[in-house]
Amino acid sequence: METAEALVVQIQALSGSAEDVSHLHSCLKQSEELLRQPTSLAPFLDRLDPSKHSLGYLYLLEAFTSCPISKEQANELILLIVRFVNSCNAEQIRLAPDKFVSVCKRLKDQAMLLDAPIRGVSAMLTAIRKLQPSSEHLTTLHPDFLLLCILAKCYKTGLHLLEDDIFEVDLPRDLFLYCYYGAMICVGLKQFQKSLELLHNVVTSPMSNLNAIAVEAYKKYILVSLIHHGQFSTAFPKYTSNVAQRNLKNFTQPYLDLASSYSNGKISELEMFVLSNKDKFELDNNLGLVKQVVSSMYKRNIQRLTQTYLTLSLQDIANRVQLNSPKEAEMHVLKMIQDGEIYATINQKDGMVRFIEDPEQYKTCEMIEHIDSSIRRIMALSKKLTAIDECMSCDPLYLAKIGRERHKFDFDDFDNVPQKFNT
Amino acid sequence: MDLSILTEALASKSYDKIAVICDNLMLQVAAEGTAFQNEWPYAIHLLGHIYADDINSARFLWKSIPPAIKEVQPEVGAAWKIGQKLWLRDYGGVHEEIRGFNWSPETQCLVAAFSDIYTRKMFQLAAAAYSTISVQDAALFWGMNEDEATKYALLEGWTLDEASRMLTVKKQPVVAEQKLDPGKLQRLTEYMFHLEH
Repeated sequence: METAEALVVQIQALSGSAEDVSHLHSCLKQSEELLRQPTSLAPFLDRLDPSKHSLGYLYLLEAFTSCPISKEQANELILLIVRFVNSCNAEQIRLAPDKFVSVCKRLKDQAMLLDAPIRGVSAMLTAIRKLQPSSEHLTTLHPDFLLLCILAKCYKTGLHLLEDDIFEVDLPRDLFLYCYYGAMICVGLKQFQKSLELLHNVVTSPMSNLNAIAVEAYKKYILVSLIHHGQFSTAFPKYTSNVAQRNLKNFTQPYLDLASSYSNGKISELEMFVLSNKDKFELDNNLGLVKQVVSSMYKRNIQRLTQTYLTLSLQDIANRVQLNSPKEAEMHVLKMIQDGEIYATINQKDGMVRFIEDPEQYKTCEMIEHIDSSIRRIMALSKKLTAIDECMSCDPLYLAKIGRERHKFDFDDFDNVPQKFNT
Repeated sequence: MDLSILTEALASKSYDKIAVICDNLMLQVAAEGTAFQNEWPYAIHLLGHIYADDINSARFLWKSIPPAIKEVQPEVGAAWKIGQKLWLRDYGGVHEEIRGFNWSPETQCLVAAFSDIYTRKMFQLAAAAYSTISVQDAALFWGMNEDEATKYALLEGWTLDEASRMLTVKKQPVVAEQKLDPGKLQRLTEYMFHLEH
C-alpha cells in the first residue's frame, strides 16, 4: 500500500496534461483505501494547489471532510471548500463528479448547521457552473443551491439560475426538487406565471410512484393557479402520469374545496372556509399563499365587472365586490391600473370608473422585438423536439417495446395473427 | 470588508446599480466567513432595492437583518418603512416616511433621488388612471401641499375647476418608436422558410 506522502507526490507530478490527469485518476481510485483514514490528511492538503491539482485535491478533500465534524471545525471547513470550489479547474473535477457533488453537499450541510446558509450561496452557484457541461444540464446541486437561496432569503440570486432552460436531467428527484424550490422562489418574488410553469412540471412529470414533492407541489399549484388565473381546473393534461391522476386529489382535498369555494365568487364564503380550515393550511406552511388567494378574489371580481360594464360608479363596484366604501374600491381599481391588470380611468368628480380596451396596438418596435424573440425561442424549441423525436425513433429499447406491443396499436397489420395463436 | 465599489457607485450617482452591487458583495463577504452583519450598510442596501422598484427583495432583506441591528440602527428601520408603505400602496405614506427621518449624509442623496423618481411615477400614474382628480388627492400622491400640487399640474397642462377643487387630467400622447428596419423583413422570410420545412 502506498503512503499518503507518495500519493501527494504523484498528484503534484500528474496534474498537467489530460493524459497525466487521467492516469492520476486511476491511481486515486486505487488509493481510496488509504484515504479512509482522513485524520492524517490535513497537512497534505496544504501542499497542494487547488487550482492546479484540482482532481487530487478533490479526492483528499472529500476524504478529509467525510468524518464527523464539530461545530468549531465547521467554520474552517466551509472556508476550505469555498476556496476550493472557487479556484478548482472545471475539467479536472468533472472527471470525478460524484466526489465533487459530495463535497458541495457537505458545504451546504455545514452552512445550514451553522445557521448561516448565505455562506454557501455563491460557492454553490460557482460549483453548478463548473460541474455542468452546459447551462441546459440539471445537476444534483441545483436543488441544493435553490434551497440555500430560500433559507438565506437571496431569492433574486436564485431566480437567475431559473432563467436557464433545462433539457438534460439525470435523476428525476433532482428535477422534482429543482422545480419545487424554484416555484417557491418565484412565488416569493410574485412571478406567478413562472412559478406555475415549474409546479406544472412537477405535477405532470412521469412517475411510477406518488411522491411527497408532487403532493406538496400540487397543493401550491392549486393556490398559485387561483391567485394568477382566478380559477383552477381539476382536469389533468393527458400526458400526466396515471399515478398522479389517480392519487393526487386524495391528498389535497382541502385545497380542491378551496378552489370550488373560490369559483362561487363570494368573498365572505371563502373567508369562512379559510377560517375553518386554517389549521390544515398552516400545517402545510401554505397559509400565506391562502391569504393571497383570498385577497386576489377582489381583483378577480373587479376584472369580471370590466367584461360586463363600460362605466360603473365606485359605489356600485364597492357593493358588488363587497368592499366597505367607494374610496376602498377606488384604491383597488387604482392598484390594478398600476399593475396593468385592468385598463380604466377613474373620474373622481362623478365618482365613476370607465373601463377601456387594452391600448396596446402591437406595432411599436419594442413589442415587435418581444414577439420576435418569442418566435425565435419557439423555433429553437421545435428544432430540439424534432431532434429528440428522431433520436427516440432510433432507440433500440423503444423499437423493441413498440415491436412487442404492435398488435395493440396497429389493427390493420396482419402480422399479429400468428402472434395471437402463439399465446 | 471592501466596499469601495459601492462607494464609487454612490459617488457617481449610479443608483440603479446599488442593489446588484450590494447583493453580490454580501454573498462574497459571507462566503469568506466575515461577520459582516454589524458593519453592513443595510439602509443603503434596502434603499437600493426600493430605488430599483424591487420591494420583494427589500422585504426579504429586511427579514434577514438580525433584530439587534434593527434596534441600534434606526436608519435601517426608517428605510424599510418606505418599503413597507410602498408594499401597502400607501401612496401618501411613502412621502411622509421620506420626510419623517433625518437621513445620514451617506443615504441622503439616494433618498432624494428616489423621492424624485417616485413623485414622477406617481404623477404618471395619476395621469394614466384618472380623468379628474381632487387637488387634495393629487397633493397626497405627489407629497406636496395643495398649492404646489395645483401649480405642478397646471404646468403639465391640466386644468383646475376652482368650485369643485378638481383637476382635469390632460392625457399625454404616448410617443413610441414604430419604424422598422429592413433586417426585420429578412428575419420574417427566414421564419416562413422554417415553417415550410
